[in-house]
Amino acid sequence: MQPDVRAVIEVADLVKVYAGGTRALDGITFGVEAGEFFGFLGPNGAGKTTTIRILSTLLRQTSGTAHVAGLDVEHDAAAIRRRVGFATQQVAVENLATGRENLELIGRLHRVPGPELRRRTDELLALMGLAEVAGKLAGTYSGGMRRRLDLASALVHRPEVLFLDEPTEGLDPQSRTALWEELVRIRDAGTTMFLTTHYMEEADRLCGRLAIIDGGRIAVTGTPAELKRSIGSDTVALALQADGPGALARAQDEVGRLLDGFAPLGGLERTAFGVSLAVSDAHAAVPDLLRRLDGNGLVVSGLTMSQPTLDDVFLQYTGRHIRDEGADRPLELGWY
Amino acid sequence: MSGLAAFAYETRWLGLRTLRRFIRVPANPVSTLLFPLIQLFVFSQLFKDIVTLPDFGGGGSYLAYLAPGQIAFTVFFAVAWVGGNLLVDLRSGYLDKLRVAPINRYAILAGEIVPLFVESVVMGGAILVLSVLMGATVATGLPGAALILGLGGLFGVVWSGTSFLPALLTKNEQATGTLAMLFMPLAFMSTAFVPATLMPDWLQFLNAWNPISHLIEAMRALMVSGYDWGLIGKAVASLTILGLVLHGATFWAFRRLAA
Repeated sequence: MQPDVRAVIEVADLVKVYAGGTRALDGITFGVEAGEFFGFLGPNGAGKTTTIRILSTLLRQTSGTAHVAGLDVEHDAAAIRRRVGFATQQVAVENLATGRENLELIGRLHRVPGPELRRRTDELLALMGLAEVAGKLAGTYSGGMRRRLDLASALVHRPEVLFLDEPTEGLDPQSRTALWEELVRIRDAGTTMFLTTHYMEEADRLCGRLAIIDGGRIAVTGTPAELKRSIGSDTVALALQADGPGALARAQDEVGRLLDGFAPLGGLERTAFGVSLAVSDAHAAVPDLLRRLDGNGLVVSGLTMSQPTLDDVFLQYTGRHIRDEGADRPLELGWY
Repeated sequence: MSGLAAFAYETRWLGLRTLRRFIRVPANPVSTLLFPLIQLFVFSQLFKDIVTLPDFGGGGSYLAYLAPGQIAFTVFFAVAWVGGNLLVDLRSGYLDKLRVAPINRYAILAGEIVPLFVESVVMGGAILVLSVLMGATVATGLPGAALILGLGGLFGVVWSGTSFLPALLTKNEQATGTLAMLFMPLAFMSTAFVPATLMPDWLQFLNAWNPISHLIEAMRALMVSGYDWGLIGKAVASLTILGLVLHGATFWAFRRLAA
């Protein structure tokens, strides 16, 4: 299979077999376009971290090719390192340095000139909500603050591509939501984002496009909405007001009659409170649907919409739930 | 920026990080100085008359005789566990962060090793100053004192290899000090406390090859008699050979792990 030639990240038939014989990647191919927020969703041991480590030049592939910003990860590693940022799975900050010192050191290693570095450091500290604690040791920061500092240090040299390996792992829900907002802001500023995660909500909220990966293979790629649509319809459940014997059945019949020929409708099921409708796009269909039901003596006392989840998508394409994964396998770190 | 200048630039900034890490934990200088200071204080009182023994080699102050050995002990304590810092970076992901930066990966190791010269000089200097405050004199004055500390700094850089090497080979924090502890038997059988003339023949034979004795005797000459370039040259040569072996192996182990 050929990768997308317009992509900022181009990966073709990538294979990684570790020294112990573990086949972490089994021939994956994908592309990520400039400015895109792309994600790898999969359980631990799926091959997410191996992929991100190869793309960020920390690990060498066994076979296949990978290009980042048009540069070959195997032969142009030094040039790639000037153009990418990497936030590791762990929070990699220097505890005995202040927030500002943390950013300045990484900036200096990236050869960001002094005046520009000061401006950039101030800008990032403000962006991450760390300006007030910039002079305090990072070891005194909360988990969320440390993660934001880590993220800021990956951005100090204005990378074209930002690699994020499970960036919200271990964060409390409030810190996780705050970090998501930061990540969206970074993407909006034009940075191409590559994220790995096993949190479905994270992939759903952040990624413009994502790949479901399991056992070192990509099962399917698409936007979250496309992936969810690919496995079935949305559901609109209507609660109908019905007083007296037989009233509910009559109301259900009436709904069936009124929606006869309604294009988005894929099916109708009677429920204990009313009807459940299978529609292709619930958000788009509901206004028209309610107009059709209005004024015929029907009283809709409640309405709920639901979509397939990414867990349903994962189940459909891999045969198991993402949450069914076993205990975390120890991470195999490769070096070169 | 040329390759060498770039390497020096990267080593400088990473080295400043290493120094900052040492300075900002008060326990570091305290634990480095405590044991040698106790030895200096107790032994200089306990064995002060040992200098009157016929084979001791001519009287003088036992405090001045003892001080160079305690400088070596201080430097040992400053560097014995430094390999653990690399393991902290490995476990925290910081080593990955540095490896993704556009720098020479050996600068990461150099940034750990080079500052040890400064740490060793400062810590050794503290013991030397305390010795002088306790009554010792430095026969060669300030230039000689600087040379004593320079030798101490060189020893610190060299001996750090005994901590980096097992750390990099085993990736186990508990192993980082194991090889470094070899200093203890070498130091106690050296001329740190008594001259070779008071030792049995087999120990005198071993001491002829003991780099710790070479170091201490060069420093002691500067402390109690004067410039003995033969002893200084022997110490430098001995430490250079030891350093090449230890750091050659350290760089090889680092290359396996991270370069």
